[in-house]
Amino acid sequence: MNKPLTVALPKGRVLEQAQRALADAGLNLRLDVDDRKLRHEAPEGTVLVMRNHDVPKYVELGVAEIGVVGKDVLEEAAVNVYEPVDLRFAACRMSLIRPAGETGPIRRVASKYPHVAARYLAGQGIDADVVHLAGNVELACISGLSDAVVDVVETGSTLKANDLEEVDVVFESSARFIVNRAALKLRHARLKDLIDRLRSGVQ
Amino acid sequence: MSDLYTRWGYQPVDLPALEVYDATHPKAEQAFTLTDPTGGLLSLRSDFTPAVARYVAAHEFAAGAPVRLQVSGSVWQAIHPDVGRTREFHQVGVELVGVSHERADAELVYLARETVRLAGLTPRVELGSPGLLTALMHEAGVPHDRREALAFAIDRKDVSDVERQLAAAGIVGPTADALLAMPDLYGPVERIDEAERWAAGDASRAQLRHLRGVIDAFDDPSELLLDLGMARRHTYYTGITFRAYTPDFGQPLLGGGRYDGALLPYAAGFSLSLERLERALGAPVSEPALDGLAVDDQVADRLRQAGFRVARSIATDLDGVRREAERLGAKWFAVGSEIHAIALDINVNAIEAAAQGRDA
Repeated sequence: MNKPLTVALPKGRVLEQAQRALADAGLNLRLDVDDRKLRHEAPEGTVLVMRNHDVPKYVELGVAEIGVVGKDVLEEAAVNVYEPVDLRFAACRMSLIRPAGETGPIRRVASKYPHVAARYLAGQGIDADVVHLAGNVELACISGLSDAVVDVVETGSTLKANDLEEVDVVFESSARFIVNRAALKLRHARLKDLIDRLRSGVQ
Repeated sequence: MSDLYTRWGYQPVDLPALEVYDATHPKAEQAFTLTDPTGGLLSLRSDFTPAVARYVAAHEFAAGAPVRLQVSGSVWQAIHPDVGRTREFHQVGVELVGVSHERADAELVYLARETVRLAGLTPRVELGSPGLLTALMHEAGVPHDRREALAFAIDRKDVSDVERQLAAAGIVGPTADALLAMPDLYGPVERIDEAERWAAGDASRAQLRHLRGVIDAFDDPSELLLDLGMARRHTYYTGITFRAYTPDFGQPLLGGGRYDGALLPYAAGFSLSLERLERALGAPVSEPALDGLAVDDQVADRLRQAGFRVARSIATDLDGVRREAERLGAKWFAVGSEIHAIALDINVNAIEAAAQGRDA
């Protein structure tokens, strides 16, 4: 039963931090230098490197048993996985953003996170259309495409530079360690140990 | 599978696929709806349970006696289709209605295990108890409007979120610690012992005793798994729930539980999707339409007379016939009157005797 684990990790900054957190918890996944490779075989596990929005799906379907991904992406994907550890890094806020001082009605909201935006608006009783954009969503607000945007805010410098402000925080986000539901049950000894170590690492 | 349930006394029932739309249906938001010419709203069944409840209500079964029913057919769910999730799928299910008892629950868990075995897979049946979680939330004084979010966090095993939510609700002390412990109480069934210290109230103790009773009904509980953090649909399921897994397949094969009072006073059951089972098997569940392939027509005829289902091969060379037989799922093939086995459990001599027209 001690088969190596398959791990889904997102490209970019989180990749390195996730690797470090997993290594500190005893799971060493040395990645090859060639960063064009999509699949890396290490003695302790196979790493699949992908866009962050794809991580939840790979883990839900069990192609990867475990993964690391931001809570923002996880909320948008609304998948059936376990998220037993808040790894605390890659902290940001999912926020409602408008041009500074704007108080008019919200009729249209742009977001890279259409499900999150729709759920938030419904919860607030705001009847607005959601426009799904691929990136730089703040531009929608500045250009008049939308009255507001729902997006992640890290430092707030992009907002300041474009004369935008955070009107409301939808939720706080950070990187999460996620586990396929069946894998946690069928390989509980191995995964419980990893979860315990990851948790004591963030204490 | 239907044979298995029939042998256990589950009567097959035919239920309509068209239903009058009911907004209180537990899966109403997933129902495809349509209108009849008078403007009445109908729905396609998205789950068998409400139709079973109506069937039971319409028939006069003896009070207090268990009613065992089995259903099979298509269901339709208005969800976003995706890998492993289709809008139409074939559901098979059993319902044990009219009693609420450990032995009834154990019977269903047992049948769930046999179902997976029958499909040729190794069963791992996992037990949980939304009833226990509801009792613990009640005993901790979690306000009703916070229970859904808390149960969802417990179900995701997001302990840091459970902690935040309990703090926000001002719940501290042993009852809060009990709720915090549940997401991590999973694994071998013996871990139920660790739950004893957390079940302090009458309701939670009764739920735990019941769960233990179900586990004790098994001779070999090592085949069972436990997860006391299973909180999915905790307002619907009132006692135990269970799921069946099989090694190296990332999704549960089957799920069910006890839902007393939701649609019927006492009822429990489980269901599975044949499509998912098919994916777990990695091959069609349906039996291949033939037993063997034969090159020679006379040999084929003799084998058919002996009761085998035999098709003529298109290929005539040994390797070609073998490939053809494998593709068709045949268990053996005949070149001349010589039988070549593909499946392991083939009595080559007996088939060869039939091929040659002599007694084995």
